[in-house]
Amino acid sequence: MSEQPTELPPADIEYGAEAPVTGQGRMQAAWGSSEGDEDMSSPQATQPTSTGHVFEQVYKPWQGTLNPRWMRNWAILRHHLLGIFKKGHRPWGMPTRLFVLIVFIASLSDAALTLLSGLIGDGSLHQLWGVSRDNLYGHVLGFFPRNVLYYPIVAALLVGSVISEDRQHGTSALYFSRPITRFDYVGMKFLSVALIQAIVVLLTLALYYFAEIISLGRGWAWIMDTFPLFLAAFVSGMLLIFTYTSIGLALSSVSKGKFFPGIGLLSIVLGTKVLAVLVSTLFDREILYLLSPYDCMAHVGQILIGTQPTYDQYSWTWSLASLVAMNALALYTLSARVSSMEVTRE
Amino acid sequence: MMPDFNQEGKGQDQAWQPDLTVPAVLLEGVSKSYGRIFALSNITMALNGGVTGVLGTNGAGKSTMFNLLMGKLKPSQGKIRLFGTDPWKNPAPYARVGFVPEHEKMYDWMTAHQFVSTFARLNGLTRAEAMVEADRVLNFVGLTDVAHKKIGQYSKGMRQRAKIAHALVNDPELIILDEPLQGCDPLARTTIMNVIRELGRMGRTVIVSSHILQEIERITEQIIILHKGRLLALGNLHAIREKLDQIPHRIQIEADNAKELAKDVIDLDDVSGISFPNKNNLSIQTHNLGAIHADLPKVIVENGHRVHTIDNPDDDLASILGYLTNGGGR
Amino acid sequence: MEAKPNTIYRALDRKAAAITEFTMRQYRTKASTWVILGVGLVAISLVMLIYIDVMASGFESIDNDGDSLDPDNDGYPTGQELKWGTDPYMDNSHPGLLTPPIEPEPASNYIDEDGFDYSITGTSTRQTTGFDDDGDCYNYDGTSSRKDSNQNGVECDVLLVQDRYSGQWNVNPDLNVDEDPDDAAYVAEATHMAFVLGIGKMGFVLLLGMFLPLFLATGLIRDEMSAGTMHFMLAKPIARTEVFLYRILGYLGIVWPYFIALGILFALISGFMGPSDGLFRFNDLGVWLAIVFATMMASFVYGMLFCTMGVMWRYGIVLAIPFAAWELGMCLISMGAPDASILRFSVIGWALMIVDAAAVLVWPNMDMFLLQGTTFGNDLNSIQTSAFALDFFYSKPGVGSNGLISSVFATVVLLVQGALLWFIGGAIFKGKEIE
Repeated sequence: MSEQPTELPPADIEYGAEAPVTGQGRMQAAWGSSEGDEDMSSPQATQPTSTGHVFEQVYKPWQGTLNPRWMRNWAILRHHLLGIFKKGHRPWGMPTRLFVLIVFIASLSDAALTLLSGLIGDGSLHQLWGVSRDNLYGHVLGFFPRNVLYYPIVAALLVGSVISEDRQHGTSALYFSRPITRFDYVGMKFLSVALIQAIVVLLTLALYYFAEIISLGRGWAWIMDTFPLFLAAFVSGMLLIFTYTSIGLALSSVSKGKFFPGIGLLSIVLGTKVLAVLVSTLFDREILYLLSPYDCMAHVGQILIGTQPTYDQYSWTWSLASLVAMNALALYTLSARVSSMEVTRE
Repeated sequence: MMPDFNQEGKGQDQAWQPDLTVPAVLLEGVSKSYGRIFALSNITMALNGGVTGVLGTNGAGKSTMFNLLMGKLKPSQGKIRLFGTDPWKNPAPYARVGFVPEHEKMYDWMTAHQFVSTFARLNGLTRAEAMVEADRVLNFVGLTDVAHKKIGQYSKGMRQRAKIAHALVNDPELIILDEPLQGCDPLARTTIMNVIRELGRMGRTVIVSSHILQEIERITEQIIILHKGRLLALGNLHAIREKLDQIPHRIQIEADNAKELAKDVIDLDDVSGISFPNKNNLSIQTHNLGAIHADLPKVIVENGHRVHTIDNPDDDLASILGYLTNGGGR
Repeated sequence: MEAKPNTIYRALDRKAAAITEFTMRQYRTKASTWVILGVGLVAISLVMLIYIDVMASGFESIDNDGDSLDPDNDGYPTGQELKWGTDPYMDNSHPGLLTPPIEPEPASNYIDEDGFDYSITGTSTRQTTGFDDDGDCYNYDGTSSRKDSNQNGVECDVLLVQDRYSGQWNVNPDLNVDEDPDDAAYVAEATHMAFVLGIGKMGFVLLLGMFLPLFLATGLIRDEMSAGTMHFMLAKPIARTEVFLYRILGYLGIVWPYFIALGILFALISGFMGPSDGLFRFNDLGVWLAIVFATMMASFVYGMLFCTMGVMWRYGIVLAIPFAAWELGMCLISMGAPDASILRFSVIGWALMIVDAAAVLVWPNMDMFLLQGTTFGNDLNSIQTSAFALDFFYSKPGVGSNGLISSVFATVVLLVQGALLWFIGGAIFKGKEIE
């Protein structure tokens, strides 16, 4: 029998990040035992004694220096963002990662075709695929396939688990037991989801623009001419990402499951669109487009980029107002839910 | 594939009769692996009658074994028979089985009575019969007065008892309880243990799992010890204990002056050895744990020692497993 | 307990009713169920509200040929002057100067005075038909070639020519024949029918019939499996395929009454609001019946499908999303090309066929109605707009010319799809290991 008591850790133990202090799994470290039975011993009453003893409790204040707030936030952001690319960070589901990759490639189709038309030197092909107002608009806000099959689904898959999972598994305790405010927590979740979408939407937009410059050898004059258009498309794309993310995260914060936020986002985006199309076809009234996040963004985007507006029964400011209202409602829900979120396993 | 159109649980209409020719539970060389990890490896045993305790630490394979028995999992190798039938292929033997899963999650929105009677109907009882049976089993587990409260308002012990009631509603010959005592307060433990003992007395085959030896000890003498998916011991608890008692127990004491205390303690009859793990700690070895525990307080008080903790590090399953696997020590 | 005879009811009262009732009760206790049903109701009611508003505000009748005007200010509208052969542009030439003098008619008599009255008879590909109601063609004071502007040798008729390849009819009326139909009546009728078909197909079958199962049926088995409560059910002597089936029955027990109630509500409102000779449009009830039935069938097949997807894979959502997009596309295709063979590989294509078949049965004159509306006038007018909307939502059932046969056929196909999915889902569930 060993002479070492098991209660004391050996002197040479390392307290590194790779070896958690307690030697338990990280989840266990955060949660401890949930039932009190994990320690495999049941409390046994020894002989009752007549004397009692009150132990003196001394808490040692922590003397270290806390990293600045941005650095802590960066850790959360990095955790979520890098999870898309490699292991050891937030484990996004394999289908999610696969779908992001597929959409990224599919989203680059216009860049590839621009390169191709530049290589062939065919003017008519370039007219079809090259950078133009309509194509820039189409890259970000085109309905089919981009806003049916690509962007909303990416948003749905990302948003599905990002907060609801913490609620389901109680892993929010991992965050809230550390010096992180709830605002930081939800802000970084928001930012990381938005950044992953930005890779799919905005990075591909930029690549598309550069493909044109490279393949057709565009000069400064062209760039000066078209850069405002590119910028407008970029801003529209940011609006798109912001709206999808805020609606999605709001749904994620009210839900416990992975499934509901994703499918909820999709049915909001596509369902309102179907309803609005139905009403405008039947009665020639466009009023329901104001309820559809996609159509509001498309209307605002059309004005920003300067393409021919397809909504002509009301001014674009109504669309903008509706969009602002939707985002405000979503963000309010999100903040209200997160600030009242109980740090328990639900 | 086609639904059972007469909708009666098989074996329900005839009166309950123990089938003595086929063991209730039969496992032959059963293994269950997940990739390269064996959750259960090469288990062979047959159980029929009496209460059997299954002991093992978390992850020892207790739940895997039960899930295999209940047809939730498919064995990687080997043969499982529940009353002579393969449970993975045929759910018919469940008519003679009651199963209490370890999962805490229940239907919180139902009352215990609704819960038990709804699931009783899955055994082929009609609505009216199920109501009567639910009353009977809820009375048996002592939940009659709260039977019409929502399960969501129950304490853990009450939930466990509701689960047991649901398993008993078809008057099963074989009852499998997966960690029925987990998370219960002492009072609930006692109640549930009484229920299990009562079932054993009624001649049912009961299999109950736990990771706490003392609990099992209070219920039954026949135990199975699983460790890392292997069958470590099977048989009478006392026989196993006796083998274990040949190996000395330890008592660890943390005191201000361990050396002085040791001088006083060595005089006691049953102490067979003493060692000092470090300056303030004293480790006593003995073959008679009870006698030491009876004498120790007197020695300490009489000689005025300041003692901080007294601990029996061996008195848990882990150390028994340690003995069984390595022949003692850690 | 006294022994009761083992009736069929008592047999079903055992497991099937137990799980079905249990599942329905489980749905009822979940807030999310009510949220989803409520959102569905709100969404579809929005369309209904706009329909009510459109119908209540009525439609404007337009004087399509301008003969209600009186350009010479002699008190006689152009139509009346044309009828009597006086010059509508000279105030010293009007029917009041005739002997005996004719009293001027109100201008409203010359709005909507010449409605559609041609029809297709027989199988000839070149037909002459039609009639000039207000006589402004017959009495037109001009050459006969002016009265026979379509140059088929018959004055004041409508020439119908069928295209040899497409089978489409070309409508070519003589000048001033059928030139001023009742806009308000036509637009109201077309808008009403388009509404019934549109909300039936896209609102009921697509939105409710697909999104409700997506939310409600995907977790039927999967949620129980992940929560661990499936252990209770599977520890009973009941086959997993049966559990699967009875869970679906419980889900249908929630959504089918919802569809029926919603269908009755909408049928009543649109029946009273819609244009009709009597108080209520009884004919439409046939279409509403088909809509509710098609929605029920669609929700049944989708329920089986999404439940199967949920069992199959933890990421059932990933499978369900592309499928939902596929069905959305198929829905749009079925409006435009109901014959497309790709529709046979969808659920919604068959469900919409039931609605189409009922529309063919209930509104047998739809082809003529559409032909009149879509070919009226040269520029886009309100009649054409409403006719195009109706044309978009109305399509011939793709299989078989007879409405009854195709609806029965579509129903059978949907049942087979559902049964097949049950077998697949049951088999997957049966082979599933549950921790």
